[in-house]
Amino acid sequence: MNYKFNWSVLWTGESGQWLLSGLITTLELSIAAWLIAMALGIVSGALRTVRFWPLRAAATFYVEFFRNVPLLVWMFFWYFAVPPLLPQAIEDWLLAHGLEFWAAVVALGVYSGARFSEVLRSGIQAIPRTQLEASVASGLTTFQAYRYVILPVALRLIIPPGTNESLNLLKNSSVALTISVAELTFQTRQIETYTAKAIEALTAGTVIYLVLCVSIASLMSWVERRTAIPGLITGGGRRRR
Amino acid sequence: MRRSIGFVMVLALLAVGFAPALAQQKSTLDKINETGTLTIGTRTGSPPFGYVNAKNEWVGFSIDLVDELIRPALEKKLGKPIKVEKKESTPPTRIPLLSSGAVDLVAETMTDTRTRRDSVDFTLTYFVTGAQFLVKKGSPIKGIKNIDGKRVAAQQGSTNARIIREKAPKAILREFPDQPAAFQALAQGQVDAYTNDGIQLAGLKAKSPNPALWEIVGDFYSYEPYGMALRKGDTDFRNVVNAGLMDGIESGKFFEIYEKWFGPKSELPYPMTPQARSFMLLQVVPK
Repeated sequence: MNYKFNWSVLWTGESGQWLLSGLITTLELSIAAWLIAMALGIVSGALRTVRFWPLRAAATFYVEFFRNVPLLVWMFFWYFAVPPLLPQAIEDWLLAHGLEFWAAVVALGVYSGARFSEVLRSGIQAIPRTQLEASVASGLTTFQAYRYVILPVALRLIIPPGTNESLNLLKNSSVALTISVAELTFQTRQIETYTAKAIEALTAGTVIYLVLCVSIASLMSWVERRTAIPGLITGGGRRRR
Repeated sequence: MRRSIGFVMVLALLAVGFAPALAQQKSTLDKINETGTLTIGTRTGSPPFGYVNAKNEWVGFSIDLVDELIRPALEKKLGKPIKVEKKESTPPTRIPLLSSGAVDLVAETMTDTRTRRDSVDFTLTYFVTGAQFLVKKGSPIKGIKNIDGKRVAAQQGSTNARIIREKAPKAILREFPDQPAAFQALAQGQVDAYTNDGIQLAGLKAKSPNPALWEIVGDFYSYEPYGMALRKGDTDFRNVVNAGLMDGIESGKFFEIYEKWFGPKSELPYPMTPQARSFMLLQVVPK
């Protein structure tokens, strides 16, 4: 082995500061994208189960179009192709206010929303159709039935796969470095640039992602246990305790 | 449950930290002798050093130096034919590729720096250039002095980005993983200028759909001597590679290859300055 490890590059110079700012950008990007993904995912996931076919078709189009193109392509699309289509004033404003960050948020949010939509649809379809019928029979409109009965149950059912998608989103945020967003992976490469110590820098990045994802997973498994509905599939989590 | 998470994390750390240590044990010459292959890391989008041309061939000045000077030297040393295999490397990946043993030699557009010499070894310098800016014709940007507040693209992991950050901290630096993405950002107007080594900008300009649209501006604001990188401490292999380059410079073959890529009839005329020529000759030590 001709490679000399020098772990001190991670805490000398500006490395710590870079990693921290990268972590913050990754979190900001992921949280903003997650909110978009949840909103789009809930709406389109619910619409894919309604009777009225034009709404179902629109939701299906959204899901199939956005989930079947690689995220990298979406990053380039929102960064390179969309801004020139906007009015000049908006484009200038975006260029002055972190266009790459917002392009990455939209790219990641819309892409993950399509994936999340499928998770939610599976949750809704796991609920017996009779529940919707009973809700409507009790005088609720279809919207109210979804809002007060179907969605609250479905969202609890999908916590495990939903967590999975959320962790994917967090890790996928690293693709944003291709459009020059200075997130965590970008900053680990930055350390490499200054110190030529790539393996140390990559290890630091790996550890941070790992700790972040394991913490979120643990938190969500706690949420899952707390919100489990006895008698539905999440009951398995309760018994294990 | 909790214990198993800890166990997995420790395993992952070990894998990340020590995989390269296990991968590379024997010397590069032995490895090349066994496999009959010299694996190099080079570029696909950095004309004329390493790029894919219109005929879809992976060619370039750096690649020719390996093929025509270093390969013969290796064949002479090992007494058998050696094949050159190319893999793509970029600024962020080239040192890891080398350290992990995925490639044996990085021959692209890599600047030899003192920091990098802590991690890898370098061959002789085979090209000298300096950083400039590529802008749309008529741009107000004329050099490093007036990029304050302007959006400037650079290649991530390059020496240029680092120098811009130090010398022009008020510039808004945008770093892209490779040259095509950075040029795309310039072409779309996402950035006002793209900085890279002058010769690479010239290559990019010449290969762009409409070269007249672009202008290379500014004096060299950095010194960028290109060397090929090898794994650290692999002296025997480095000697063979350097001997190949020296033989080429001495015999004039090096200058023929230079003429092919940068001569008056090439796509990118870039005459070698007398200083650069004597610098090349002075690097050659006696037999």
